[in-house]
Amino acid sequence: MAIIDVDNVSKEYRLRGGPPALFRWGGARTLLGRRRHKTIKALEGITFAVGAGESLGIIGANGSGKSTLLKILAGVTTPTSGHVRLYGRVASLLELGAGFHPLLTGRENIYLNARILGMTHAEVDAAFDAIVAFSGIAEFIDDPINIYSSGMYLRIGFAVAAYADPEVFLVDEVFSIGDEAFQRKCRQRIGELKEQGKTIVFVSHDLGIVNALCDRVILLREGRMMAGESPQATIQRYLRQVEQTRALHAVCQGENEVVLAQGCLSLFHGEREVSGAAGLYVTIESSGRTYSSANDAWEVAERAPEAGAFRGRMASLPVVHDWRFRLDGDRLTWHIAIECERETTIEAFDANLMLRGGYVRWTYGRLAGPFPEILPGDLSWTVVVAPDAACREAGALPDEDSTLPPVLIELESETPYLRLQWSNTDYVNGGRLLQAGARLPEDARTFRPGRHELMTVSIRFDMTAGAVLERVRARRDEFTLERGAFSARFESGGVALAYGGAELTSPLRVYASILIGGLWNDSTGLQWHRIARSGGRVEASGESRRFPFRQHWELELADDGLRLAIWLETLEPIDIEEYHVSVGLRPVYVCWETDRESGVFPDIDPHQEDWRHVNRDYAPGARITATCKEFPSVALEVAADPTRVGVAPFRMTALNTDCHLNSRVLQALCTPGIGKLHFDKGRHSLFVGKVVVRQQSEQRQTD
Amino acid sequence: MAHTFYSDSHQRRLWRVFPDVFQYRGLLFDLVWKDLRVRYRNAMMGLLWAVLQPLLLTLVLTFVFTYIIPLRISETGDGRVLDRAPFFLCGLIPWQFFSASLGVATTSLLANRDLVKKVYFPRELIPIAAELNCLVNFVIGFALLLIVRVALGGALGAALLWTPFIFLIQFVLQVGLGLLLSCAEVHFRDTHYIVEIALVFAFYMTPVIYHLDAVSSRLGSTSFLFRLYLANPVAGLVAAYREAIFYNQSPDLGLLLWPALTAAVLLVFGGAVFRRHAPVLADYI
Repeated sequence: MAIIDVDNVSKEYRLRGGPPALFRWGGARTLLGRRRHKTIKALEGITFAVGAGESLGIIGANGSGKSTLLKILAGVTTPTSGHVRLYGRVASLLELGAGFHPLLTGRENIYLNARILGMTHAEVDAAFDAIVAFSGIAEFIDDPINIYSSGMYLRIGFAVAAYADPEVFLVDEVFSIGDEAFQRKCRQRIGELKEQGKTIVFVSHDLGIVNALCDRVILLREGRMMAGESPQATIQRYLRQVEQTRALHAVCQGENEVVLAQGCLSLFHGEREVSGAAGLYVTIESSGRTYSSANDAWEVAERAPEAGAFRGRMASLPVVHDWRFRLDGDRLTWHIAIECERETTIEAFDANLMLRGGYVRWTYGRLAGPFPEILPGDLSWTVVVAPDAACREAGALPDEDSTLPPVLIELESETPYLRLQWSNTDYVNGGRLLQAGARLPEDARTFRPGRHELMTVSIRFDMTAGAVLERVRARRDEFTLERGAFSARFESGGVALAYGGAELTSPLRVYASILIGGLWNDSTGLQWHRIARSGGRVEASGESRRFPFRQHWELELADDGLRLAIWLETLEPIDIEEYHVSVGLRPVYVCWETDRESGVFPDIDPHQEDWRHVNRDYAPGARITATCKEFPSVALEVAADPTRVGVAPFRMTALNTDCHLNSRVLQALCTPGIGKLHFDKGRHSLFVGKVVVRQQSEQRQTD
Repeated sequence: MAHTFYSDSHQRRLWRVFPDVFQYRGLLFDLVWKDLRVRYRNAMMGLLWAVLQPLLLTLVLTFVFTYIIPLRISETGDGRVLDRAPFFLCGLIPWQFFSASLGVATTSLLANRDLVKKVYFPRELIPIAAELNCLVNFVIGFALLLIVRVALGGALGAALLWTPFIFLIQFVLQVGLGLLLSCAEVHFRDTHYIVEIALVFAFYMTPVIYHLDAVSSRLGSTSFLFRLYLANPVAGLVAAYREAIFYNQSPDLGLLLWPALTAAVLLVFGGAVFRRHAPVLADYI
């Protein structure tokens, strides 16, 4: 049943330019003679119906008649022709605090305001506590409200309206009131009302909210109804309409369209908007404050059918954004640079790519997974995939039956600090956000006058979901060395070993760790870049964020396993207390054997909080092996290394980890004693050896 | 289910006034109650002022007209000094009610623009609430008048029963004028200045501080000028109050006929004009 029925409504305003001034020349004549009125048609022939529980959005440019329509629905003014029929009680948030009197107390005003909204005294009594709790002014409730801040004033107003329990709710741009926290509360409450099946009519410029909350959207233009369809369709039409008037530049190729308006890019693919409410924009952080490109003054520097160059002058920093974009078929290249007019300190910069909530799976370098669902209670943005330094590629995949295209985003940047991160936005924005940004360390924050390239973002629409996932798989396998059933996969400072598809190593994998100044520096914690593969060899370099050193790893397939060589490159002289190379194995490995000893790993106590040495003899050795029935044996061997002269030999150790890691560890430990391990600036060999993996039968043959 | 229908022609129907106002009577009383509380909220003596104000005013007037400008209160002589206060009060209380309520009602729509611009309710509520608000003062003042009369040794008689009837005429007259003036004020902001001056003039053209007989004896009770004087409906009303309370006589029905007629016509006319403009008042405030 239609709960709101608007039938052919028109509204005219007569402009009178104030009362006639009698004492001006000709004034008396205007009073006596026929006065000429200018009439303005604010609305013309509006017809629509809203069903119970439906939420309707009204969008349009300023002066398109949105507020007039809402006023007519609220009954504040009547249509010049046509009629409106409403069933049930109407509360409108355009009347926030209607009739509040400054001398009355908060309590008295709540009662009065609620009464004006049509509640009975009994209803106010019932909702009173909830209203007070929502507005958060409990301690001032019996003070006259002229002592309240304007924020508190609005909060009570909203609280009363939100709890007036009307059948129809008229909301006019209320999200500009109060602080961030209260706005979130308002949004949540409106979300709740929607869930309760209230009918909501919603006027807003914030297309994100309209899109998230409305079932249907009406577009007004100069008082006429241009569209009244699904939110996506209407919003798109609106954006196109806005684009004609406000956009700086729009580029269209095939099914793809890119619109730059007000410092943010919007992407369309085949009539669908791919970008989310906020679009694609850049933020720059300086002196602890974040500045968005959407607030800058933009102009077009170059305009071409498939490309454009734009400059946006920041209001608060002596910085000019310099963007170029080019659309080549299904690939958009977005080149982001800044030009500093004076020396400027920038702590961080981010390119924010907000995509629609219709994307349900993410990919991130070697990883892929589903986005968590965004629920009405989600009031803040949540990180979905934590940043990984090495990742320069991310993708978003839509639901299978969606018409959204799969998106693959690649980044290029000279900044070594660039990170990618996937987040979910809050419920109202309802989008997926890919942030590509850098937090700069203190010594890299000064930007000299001149041009600075920040990054280049490439967005591809031409790939199928399968192709995007295939890239993830390929990336995963990029640094995997294989011979027969044996494989070793290098990934950010660790090597995972597998045999016949079964993992031998635990999540600890094969890694190295260096103790400097009482702190262990695991190779998996370094920043790994410059990873290269040639045939059966992988070379990689990782840099410490904590101490001035780098590690270089060389992996090479051998007949019976993996050769491993590790170098330490020190940028300053460093004293190392001890270091080790370890193989973390799954707990199925039960026996160990060194050159001199052998034994069984004890079970790991479920309450065990520390690592425990298993063998007793720590004399230097060259080999330690772990065996079990199900899997091949794994051995860590230290090769004789002439360049390591003068450094203490390795002690081969077997350990149990704590119960959380739940692993067996084979370790080559170098503990010369404090102060004995001094490295000058330069490149030093840390470890040369092998991880040997042997099938049991082979083992028996050789033994 | 409750059902609201907004269309221009529908809203402008005059007969809708009564059901609309009746439906929103709860809000009407809330508005009156709000104004009352607001009025005395920050005054130290609070609601006591509703009693003190007419009382002190009477004292001042009694003093002025007894010692400074000695006015005769009756044609037959000065009468007792103790009668002076009730004599003035009989005119003053109804007059105060009339002038205060017109003043407040005229500007009421503009004073409540927040409400009018934001919420739907029958617009008549606003000027009517303003009238009712002044009614509270009138009731207190009226009670005071009766008390003073008795306390100063006067007598109250059966003619007192006329007062509800006189009051009804006055109230209807005021509501009609209030609707008309408040609506006029929205379109012509000069209205309240005119009302202000007109009320000062009308104060002297109404037998508040003198007896009606003083006018009729001077002008001649059948002269044109005296008829013109009585064209002011409040003159007849105030004279009737005084007859009923002070002299304990049934008021001359001829005195009440004209005010009753004027009140009825003004109510219909004022109501019609108000209704005509009410639906779009918010556009002009």
